[in-house]
Amino acid sequence: MRRRWPLYLLASLYAFLLSLPLLVLLSASLRAPEDLFTPGLLPPKVSLEGYRAALTDYPLWRYLANSLLVASLATLGVLLTSLLAGYALARIPFRGQRAFFGLAVALLLVPGEVTFLPLYLLVSRLDWLDTYQALILPFAASPLGVFLLRQYIKTIPEDYFDAARIDGAGHLGLIRHVALPLAAPALGALAALTFIGTWNMYLWPLVVTQSKEMQTAQIAINFILNEADAVARWNVVAAASFLVLLPTLLAFLLAQRAFVKGIALGGLKG
Amino acid sequence: MVRASPLSAQARARKRKEEAWALGLVLPAFGLFFLFYVVPLGQAVWLSLHQEGLFGRDLRFSGLENYRQALADPALWKSVKTTLLFAALVVPLELLLGLLAALLVWRPYPGVALFRTLFFLTTAVPTAVAAVAWGWFLHPVGGYLNHLLKGLGLPPQPWLTSPDLALPTLAVITAWAGVGFTAILLTAGLQNIPEEVLEAASVDGAGPWTRFWKVVLPLLSPTLFLVGLLVLLKSLTAFGQIHLLTRGGPIESTTVWIYRVYQDAFFNFRFAYAAAEGLLLFLLLVVLAALQFRLLGGRVHYA
Repeated sequence: MRRRWPLYLLASLYAFLLSLPLLVLLSASLRAPEDLFTPGLLPPKVSLEGYRAALTDYPLWRYLANSLLVASLATLGVLLTSLLAGYALARIPFRGQRAFFGLAVALLLVPGEVTFLPLYLLVSRLDWLDTYQALILPFAASPLGVFLLRQYIKTIPEDYFDAARIDGAGHLGLIRHVALPLAAPALGALAALTFIGTWNMYLWPLVVTQSKEMQTAQIAINFILNEADAVARWNVVAAASFLVLLPTLLAFLLAQRAFVKGIALGGLKG
Repeated sequence: MVRASPLSAQARARKRKEEAWALGLVLPAFGLFFLFYVVPLGQAVWLSLHQEGLFGRDLRFSGLENYRQALADPALWKSVKTTLLFAALVVPLELLLGLLAALLVWRPYPGVALFRTLFFLTTAVPTAVAAVAWGWFLHPVGGYLNHLLKGLGLPPQPWLTSPDLALPTLAVITAWAGVGFTAILLTAGLQNIPEEVLEAASVDGAGPWTRFWKVVLPLLSPTLFLVGLLVLLKSLTAFGQIHLLTRGGPIESTTVWIYRVYQDAFFNFRFAYAAAEGLLLFLLLVVLAALQFRLLGGRVHYA
């Protein structure tokens, strides 16, 4: 304990500096319009006007629900497709297995942000612009997910599978009763990574959504910012942003371990 | 045929059934990969080899004409330069900020969990929220930072509205948003340094400063290099913060490569040309990603 105070001091100071932009945003969201430009970190008086306006002047619930739907379904999709493909690639010898795994590894190298234009052209040809399937399906399978699950399931000792086979389990039984529970840590990390990634998507929903009803929370921030900045309603912008931050923040605080693990594993890819 | 003969009909049937199972199980993932990765990429390459009329109609084949035009286009080269400058600012800054955070939390002490949470937190902050937070923090009138500068007797700065300052400011915002990500990976890297090595250095009388420069940093450098490559890949495709805060301006000073592609496609409606520009960026990123993959080498096939 004796020589630890410099560490605490430095860590506290650094943490404070890093969180300063978010603290200032929180402060703005709690200010009354007339206090908005009053200097200082704390609002002179706490006002929930920004939150009220954000939720009543804009269909923010709808945007949040859209984001939640997109992120949850994409995450479920990634978990399911990765588990099935990972199991087959790790446990069933078949012709073309190497080619399939090689393709997944090759696709790991494809940077997602750059494929938005070709993907947009495909989706518009399918007549899917402004639909949920355009927001979800392209992200319902992930090369990283297939890769991670294949690697993980390969490390499960054969004995576990043999035991289940003796009990008469087929492939689906082996997946459900052996691969699924034993790969749970990998699935948890993958779920955290996918959820946060799809919740935070910006460029893709920006180009494929057109109507306000289909927009996700991230895109909503864009036009709330444009509209409200013009009339200096920054307390509304700040409140809306905080409401959009809340779900990922809560998810992070509740499942920090899975997030950290997901990023450390995903760091292999990025 | 000759090799198949020792197998009994029953064994062959069983093998066929296994293969059918395997294909059925990989189909959902690889069907989606085919539809949403392979087809669009093929389509983009095909499109980039054509000239188009208005709204992508009347395509006619033109070979590498779009690429020739793009590579001779000063606007594209300007955006390439802007992108590289942006990345050159983001990468060292984010590594430095992340390393400082990682050094503060890699070894356990009472209360370390709280600091880890605080340092890793930015991974949970969506780009749009980060952009708004900084937009307000740097606001010309109400911004906290300009208030601080005024308090110190310094003039307020046009952080995002001056062509000279906008790009470095965006680089700081991007590095800030990436601190959590970098800190997590570097913490893991630091924790992989064998305890015995650090102890041996202490026994030899090395203080914390010497230990950091002579032991920790050299052992961490492969991780630092890899994380740096990851940050580079991310910064080359940064889009959200730029779209939200500067729209590529002022006077195109923050129009990075991917922003150029976005503008040519969705504002100038030159899809074929934008496809060529995008594929050139894609090429650069694939080369960098392949380099990263090679370096990971052994680590990819972990036990």
